[in-house]
Amino acid sequence: MKKKVRFTVNKKAWLFVLPSVVLIVAFVFYPMVQAFITSFQTGMGNNLTFGGAANYQRLLTDNTFRKALFNTVLYLIIQVPIMIVLALAISSMLNDKKLKGKGFFRTAIFLPCVTSLVAYSIVFKSLFATDGFVNGFLMNLHIIEEPIAWITTTGFARALIIIAITWRWTGYNMIFYLAGLQGIDESVYEAAAIDGATGFQKFRYMTVPLLKPIILFTTINSTIGTLQLFDEPMNITQGGPANATITISQYIYNLLFKYQPNFGYAAAVSYVIVVLIVVLSFIQMKVGDDKE
Amino acid sequence: MKAKKVLACVLASAMVMGLGVTAFAEEGGDQKITVWAWDETFNIKAANEAAEIYKAEHPDVEIEVVTMAQDDIVAKLNTSLSSQSYDGLPDVVLIEDYKIQGYLTSYPDEFADFSDVLNPEDFAAYKTGVNVVDGSFYGVPFDSGVAATFYRKDMIEEAGYTEEDMQDLTWDKYIEIGQAVKEKCGVDMCTLDPSDLGQIRIMMQSAGSWYTDADGNVSFTDNQALKDAITTYKKLVDAGITKQTADWDQFVGAFNNGEVASVVSGCWVASSIKAAEDQSGKWAVAPVPRMSENENSINASSIGGGAWYVLQNVGNADLAKDFVATTFGSNVDLMNQLVSDISLVSTLNAAAEAPNVSEGVEYFGGQTVNKDFAEWTAEVPTVNYGMHTYALEDIMSEAVQAIVGGGDMDQVLSDYEEQAKAAVGQ
Repeated sequence: MKKKVRFTVNKKAWLFVLPSVVLIVAFVFYPMVQAFITSFQTGMGNNLTFGGAANYQRLLTDNTFRKALFNTVLYLIIQVPIMIVLALAISSMLNDKKLKGKGFFRTAIFLPCVTSLVAYSIVFKSLFATDGFVNGFLMNLHIIEEPIAWITTTGFARALIIIAITWRWTGYNMIFYLAGLQGIDESVYEAAAIDGATGFQKFRYMTVPLLKPIILFTTINSTIGTLQLFDEPMNITQGGPANATITISQYIYNLLFKYQPNFGYAAAVSYVIVVLIVVLSFIQMKVGDDKE
Repeated sequence: MKAKKVLACVLASAMVMGLGVTAFAEEGGDQKITVWAWDETFNIKAANEAAEIYKAEHPDVEIEVVTMAQDDIVAKLNTSLSSQSYDGLPDVVLIEDYKIQGYLTSYPDEFADFSDVLNPEDFAAYKTGVNVVDGSFYGVPFDSGVAATFYRKDMIEEAGYTEEDMQDLTWDKYIEIGQAVKEKCGVDMCTLDPSDLGQIRIMMQSAGSWYTDADGNVSFTDNQALKDAITTYKKLVDAGITKQTADWDQFVGAFNNGEVASVVSGCWVASSIKAAEDQSGKWAVAPVPRMSENENSINASSIGGGAWYVLQNVGNADLAKDFVATTFGSNVDLMNQLVSDISLVSTLNAAAEAPNVSEGVEYFGGQTVNKDFAEWTAEVPTVNYGMHTYALEDIMSEAVQAIVGGGDMDQVLSDYEEQAKAAVGQ
């Protein structure tokens, strides 16, 4: 009797999840498997033939791929920490009960995330053009003598991409922290204040540890987002100068749509991102995992 | 949560941009043709004038000309043709000569054959070389990409040189003049886009060479013309007489705003130069410079240029074919009109006799530029562009940056040659 009840419950439960299962299999697992198979094929356009591990071998000699990987990792290790620290700092400032115009500042900092990726990229491109607003501003302040070639110099172009994505995504992470901060009991801070903790000590020893799960979540999210970075380099620099700012996602795009389409190799490069994301997420989970 | 995130990313990355297609032009009834092309001042004007002529004879036909960036056209064709979904594709599309062989190889059954209505021999031989395959004649050759040096007479003269100096020019002399211009007028000699090696392509073809050899095999290390071109390019950069640009708009903006004294590019750029009406009479045209260190290099080359193609599985293939064949394929009056409107250098042989070709152009101080272009076109060395010009160029742009930055030429080229061979599957 008992057994039967469990069975019917299970059956009903399965019925409820069936639509999602079917959809996920059709639109997630099937393309995944298909892409994996494609990554072993070589040829142009639709004329594909089985090529064994040829595509994966090609990865090893491909300077552009190495450059794309380097850039992606560079954005990751420079941009994500900057953005996380910035978002944390801003959110704890904006969490101050006594601050006036809190709503305005919160909205103002969150607003960039609402803008379209392409639209803001194009605005950034024109702001940072050689004769654009930013150069004019810096020159009028006599901070620089000559206009900076933001888009056509390797170092500045990379810095520009980092500036752009930091502007776009800091507010997004800030919202998570603000939500997390609401959950921290005020009395914890009062106790700390009685013990003589300074503002920074409160931030370092109370806020950060208490927000740890959220910091972990935003870090993983940002890592994944950065690994898939596409719109900004595509629209601001076109990956230039000479592929100096190209990301892996953009390289995949080029392989498919800019050159003669090479689906096999593009799928192989895609799987590199998959492996990277799995590995990095795993490491971050482990690092963030408390022993107790 | 974790699993779901990972899955979401797997999907996203495995299918990156798989949904890039947007249905753009709606296919109408039986009598509608859609045309895709780029460059408002040139190709679009030509398509509109052709459409008007055709509509005058066929009042029922509706022709929609859509302006689209060339990169977008390429991306859309690649996505739609490889998935064989024809919704939203145009009937007629302009494709650059560098790219068409790749398309014809990747999608052999998608392009209409014109050999029943047109004869390839009626067009310039170096143009039909790219779109005649096994006796089938795909596409109607349109503009010549013959290269030229457009320069500001006023600035060159201010720098102490004459029009005479601009004839029979070498790149070394060009750089020398550039330095004088920079000193006297304070403007750069030309624009340079680190991601677009147009100048190197011009230099290579002036010596009858390309990124690939005559058989289409990648050729970097044993390619003297390429090495000379990179050396010249490096000299140009080191001289400090170039203005860096990052895209087409900045490129056009630079000469329209008088920020550069010359433009070495295809003759099709004339229509963009003329857009700055206040500079009328200040411009003149000379042949392209040649490389002094390479004895094969001559003062004639080519860059860009395209042809009109009909997609035969989309919609009105027969009507579209008739439209292209009767206008761009044979109408000398249209060519004559386009000569004066957009400075077209037609590759239709009969168009050489069109009366407007030998007329002086006021914008260029009365110079008979169209006649000059036609003469230089005849001298352009023919090269085999192969199928992978842009894939190779992206690789080469990295190599060139490395060499300009001080890398050893032979070492860098042999590194990148290996990558290039892998990229084109050799």
